[in-house]
Amino acid sequence: MSESSITAYASAIASVARAEGIARVVEDELFRVARALGANDELRATLADASIPLERRTSIIEDLLGGKATTTTVSVVTLLVANGRVGQLAAIVDEFVSQSAGARGEAVAEVRSAVPLSDDQKARLAAALKAQTQLDVTIRNVIDPTVIGGIVTQIGDTLLDGSVRSRLTQLREAF
Amino acid sequence: MNALLLAEEGNHFWLPHDINEVIWGTIAFLIVFGLLYKKAWPAISAAMAARPERIAAELGAAEADRVDAESKRDGVKAALADSDAEAARIVAEARDAAARLESDTVTRAEAEAVALRERAAGELVAARRQAESDLAGELSRLALGAAEQVVHSNLDDATHQDLIEAYIRQVGATN
Repeated sequence: MSESSITAYASAIASVARAEGIARVVEDELFRVARALGANDELRATLADASIPLERRTSIIEDLLGGKATTTTVSVVTLLVANGRVGQLAAIVDEFVSQSAGARGEAVAEVRSAVPLSDDQKARLAAALKAQTQLDVTIRNVIDPTVIGGIVTQIGDTLLDGSVRSRLTQLREAF
Repeated sequence: MNALLLAEEGNHFWLPHDINEVIWGTIAFLIVFGLLYKKAWPAISAAMAARPERIAAELGAAEADRVDAESKRDGVKAALADSDAEAARIVAEARDAAARLESDTVTRAEAEAVALRERAAGELVAARRQAESDLAGELSRLALGAAEQVVHSNLDDATHQDLIEAYIRQVGATN
C-alpha cells in the first residue's frame, strides 16, 4: 500500500470524525483498536483472511467493539477490513491521529507502559513534553508488558526510553 | 686381280670358276661400297665424331648427378645431425621441465601444507573465541533472564508508580 493511500484513508477518516464532532473520541478508539490488533496476531490474521466471509469478520468486529466504541469507529474498522487494509490499519490510524493532532496544533505522544497511567500522570507528562516541544501534547497510553516497568515515549521522531527493558538491554550489552 | 687369279689356279676353292662372276661381283661390291661410302659414311662419321662429345656430356651429367647426390647426402647427414641435436635438446628440455614441475609441486605442496596448518590454527583460535563469546553470551542471557525474573517479581504496583513518577520528573527536568 502506498504512502499516498494511507494518507488518503487517514484524511477521509479525519474528515468524517471532524464532521461528526467526535474527532478526539474516534482518535482514541481507533488508536486502541490498532494497538490491540498489533498485539493479537490471531485476531489480525482472522480479520485479514479473505477466505472467511466478510459477514463473519464484520460480526467479529461488532462483537469486539459493539457498545464499547462509537459507530464511526466501528464503521471505519469495518470499512478497512472489507477493503483488505487490516495490515495497514495501524499505519492509517497513526496517520489519522497525527493529522488530527497537527490540525489542532498538537503533537501526539505514544506512551508505552507496563501499567496504565492515571489521568494526573498523563497530564503531568503532557505538560513536561509540551515544555520540550512547545506544542500541546496528546498522550496515547499503550499498555505494553514488554516494557516491564517505566515508560517509553515516542513523540514524532523522538524516543524517550525510560523503561526497565532498556536498562536490562544496556546491562546485556555491557557484558 | 692377278693375285686372285693365281690363287684360283692354286687351290680351286678361293675364287669361283667363272671370272665374270668375279667381275660382276666386284663391280656390285664397288657400287654398294660407293653408295655406302657416299650415303652412310657421313652419318657414320658424324656419329663417330659426336660419340666422344656425347660420352663426355654423359660423363659430365653423371659427374653433376654425383655431385648433386653427394650434396643431398651431405644435406641428409646434416639434417640427421640436426635432428639428433633437436631430439637431444627436446629431451633436455623435458628433463628440465620435469625437474621444475617436481620442484614446483613440492614447493606448492609445502606451501599448501603450511597454509593449511595456519588456517587450521586460525580456525581453532576463532572457534575458541566464538565458543568463549557464545558462552559469555549464554551466561549473559541466563543472568539477564534471571535478572528479568527478579525484576518482574519485585515490580509491584508501588514500584511501577515510582518508576513512572521518576520518568515524568526526569522528562520535566530536561527542559
